[in-house]
Amino acid sequence: MHNVWILLKREYLERVRSRSFIVFTLLMPAFMAGSVVIPAKIAEMSSGGKTNLVIVANDAALATAVGHELSIAKQESELGTDAANLPPRIYTIEVDTDTSDAERDRLSQQLSDGKITGFLWLTNDALADHKVQYSTKEAGDFERPREMRNAIRTAVTKQRLAQKGMSETEVESLLTPITVKTVRPEKGKTGASSTEIFITAFAMVVLLYAVVMIYGMAVMRSVIEEKSTRILEVLLSSVTSKELLAGKIIGVGAVGLTQILVWVTCASLFSAPGVIVSRSEVHLPMISMVAFAIFFLLGYLLYSAMYAAIGSMVNTDQEAQQMQWPAMMPIVLAVFLMNAVIQHPNAPLSFWLSMVPFFAPILMLVRVLIETPPLWQIGLSILLMVVTIYGLLAISSRIYRVGILMYGKRPTLPELRRWLKYAG
Amino acid sequence: MSDAVELRGIRKSYDHFVAVDRLSLSIREGSVYGLLGPNGAGKTSTIRMMIGITMPDEGDVRLFGQPFHREQLTRIGYLPEERGLYKRMKVLDHLIFLGRLHNLSEQDARQRSLDWCERLQIADWEDKKVEELSKGMQQKIQFIATLLHDPALVIMDEPFSGLDPANSVMLKDVLIDLKKAGKTILFSTHRMDQVERLCDSICLIDHGRAILEGDLKKIKASYGKNHVQMQYDGDPHLENCALIESLNNYGNYVEARLKPGADPQELLRMTAERVRISRFELLEPSLEEIFIDQVGKHA
Repeated sequence: MHNVWILLKREYLERVRSRSFIVFTLLMPAFMAGSVVIPAKIAEMSSGGKTNLVIVANDAALATAVGHELSIAKQESELGTDAANLPPRIYTIEVDTDTSDAERDRLSQQLSDGKITGFLWLTNDALADHKVQYSTKEAGDFERPREMRNAIRTAVTKQRLAQKGMSETEVESLLTPITVKTVRPEKGKTGASSTEIFITAFAMVVLLYAVVMIYGMAVMRSVIEEKSTRILEVLLSSVTSKELLAGKIIGVGAVGLTQILVWVTCASLFSAPGVIVSRSEVHLPMISMVAFAIFFLLGYLLYSAMYAAIGSMVNTDQEAQQMQWPAMMPIVLAVFLMNAVIQHPNAPLSFWLSMVPFFAPILMLVRVLIETPPLWQIGLSILLMVVTIYGLLAISSRIYRVGILMYGKRPTLPELRRWLKYAG
Repeated sequence: MSDAVELRGIRKSYDHFVAVDRLSLSIREGSVYGLLGPNGAGKTSTIRMMIGITMPDEGDVRLFGQPFHREQLTRIGYLPEERGLYKRMKVLDHLIFLGRLHNLSEQDARQRSLDWCERLQIADWEDKKVEELSKGMQQKIQFIATLLHDPALVIMDEPFSGLDPANSVMLKDVLIDLKKAGKTILFSTHRMDQVERLCDSICLIDHGRAILEGDLKKIKASYGKNHVQMQYDGDPHLENCALIESLNNYGNYVEARLKPGADPQELLRMTAERVRISRFELLEPSLEEIFIDQVGKHA
C-alpha cells in the first residue's frame, strides 16, 4: 500500500501541476460559459432592435389587431422555457390598405433600401388561401414566422368570435393558452420539468463520457510513455506490476475527479443567483449527483483497465490508435443508444442494454437521471459492473505484467492467451 | 561469510523457448561477480528472477541467506539494461520519488540525493527537468537512483553500454568504493574484457545454462598459461607450426594460442633458432577465449 501511495502521488502531482492540465481545466468552463452566454447575448441584441413592419391588408382593423398581438407577444425560447429575461421585440407597425402590385413593388424597393424590416401580405385572398407571405431580409430568424402565425391566428379568431357576438372577456378567456408541464415528483420538493431533466441528463452523460474517455486514454498513454522511456524496469525492481497498475489508475482517476470538481464548482458559481445567464435552472437532485459519482468511478475503472492493458501491448501512440477500438466501441455505442433510452427508459430493450456492464455507465446513469428505475435494477447493474471490473483488472494486470517487459512486435491473440498463463 | 545471492536450479521458459535452464550459482557477500555470456544467453532473465520481476517456473531464489521475499528489495540496487527516467520530472523530485520507493523517508531521500548530486558534480541541475539533461548526465542520475538507498547488493545489467568514457571511469571508481565498503556487486555483460579486471568470481552462461562458474583466478589457473606473445626481428615462419592452435601475426609481433599439451619452451627454442627474440611472454587466456572454449565443449 505504501508503494501504491507513492506511485499515485507522483502520477497525480505531475499531472495536476502540468501546464496542459491547468489550461484545459480553466478553458473548459470558459468554453462552456461562452457557449451559453454568447448565444443569449446575440438573441438579446437582435431582439433589442426595432422592427419596422408594414402590414398590407384589405381590412385595416384586422391589420391593426395583428400588429397589436405581435407587439404584446412574449418571446419563447426554442426550448419552450420561460424567456422573461429577454426584452420583447419592439415593433413599429404601419397599416397599408393598398393591395396593388405597384404597392408591392414599392414596398420591395423600401425593403432593399433598408427603410423597413419587412412587410406582411395579409390580403383577404391570402387569408382565404391560408397562405400569408412575409417578405424580409432576416429570413434566418426562425422565431419570427411562428410569432406572426400566432398573432394572425389570434387576431383572426378574435375578430371572427366578436363577429359571432362573443364579448371581449369571453374571447380572452377562451384564447388563454394552456401549458402542460411534465414533472417528476420527489419527496418534499417540486419536481423539475422534463426539459430540464433531459438537459441535465444529457449534460451529465456527455461529461461522464468525455472524462472517462480522456482519462482512460491518459492511463493508456502513460503506460506507453513508461514503456518507451524504459523506466518500467527501474520501477519494477522495487514495486510489483499490480502496485504500478493500481497507482496509475487511482492517480489518473483522482486527476479526473479533481477536474470534474473544478468544473462543477465553476458551474455552480456560474449559475448562482445574481449571475444567472442560463435561462433554464439547472436541477440536480441528490440522487443524480450520487449516481453520477458512482457511475463515473465504475465506468472509469472499467475502461481504464482496458486502456492500461492496451497500452502495455503496444510500443507507440500510433500503434495504440489502431488497437484502442475494443475499448472505445462500447462506450461510443452506448452514447448512440442513449437517445432511444432517454425516450423509452422502461422498454425491455432499454433495461437489458443498461444491464450490459460496458454500457451501464452511460445507459443506467441516463435511466437513473430520467426516471429512477427500481432499486434492484440499479443494484444489479452496479453488481454486474463490479464483477466485470474485477475480472477485467485480473486479466489486464496479467497482460500488463507481461506486456510492459515486451518490446517490439505487438502480440497476436494466441500470444495474449499465453501471456495470461505465465506464472509471473 | 554467507551468500548474498543463491540460485538453486532456476528455470524459466516462454512458450517453447527456454530462457534459463536449471541455473545454479552463488554470490559471496562482499564479492564482485560477473554474469557473463553473449546476447540472448539468459542474463537479464536470470536477474529478473533474482529480484522478483518475474518468477521462476522451477527452482529457488535465496537472498542474504533467506528465501526470496519482497522486503529484501530495499537492500538491492538494480540498474537495468533498459533504463530510463520520467522525462518531464525535475531531477531532485525524480530521485526522491525513486528513493521513497526504496523505503527512504522524504527528508532522507532528499538529503542523500543532494549529497550524491554534489559528489557527481550535477548539483546545478537538481531543479531542471530530466529532458533538459544531456545523455551523460541522465546516466549519472540513474547511477544515483540505483545507489541512493545504500544497497547491500548492487546489480548492474550491462552497466557500461552506452556510457561515455568519462562516465565509464566515474562508474568504475564508484564501484571500487562500493567494493571497499563491503557491498556485493553483480555485473552482467557480454563485453567480457570490460569486467575481467573487476570480477572476483564469474558465471559463464550460454543458452540459459551455466557452463562455468567459480572463482575467476582459479578458473584461469586451471587453464594454465597457454598464450604466448613474442616480439622479434625477421620472419620465423610460424604459420604451419605444429605447436600452435591459432595465430595473430602483426609482422614483427605475434600472439599465439598453443595447442593443448604443447610446451611453450619448445616454441621458444624453435623460434630462437630462426630469428632474434626481443620479448617472449606466457599469458593466461582471456575470459573471452575461455568462454569460446567452453561453448565449444558443450556444443
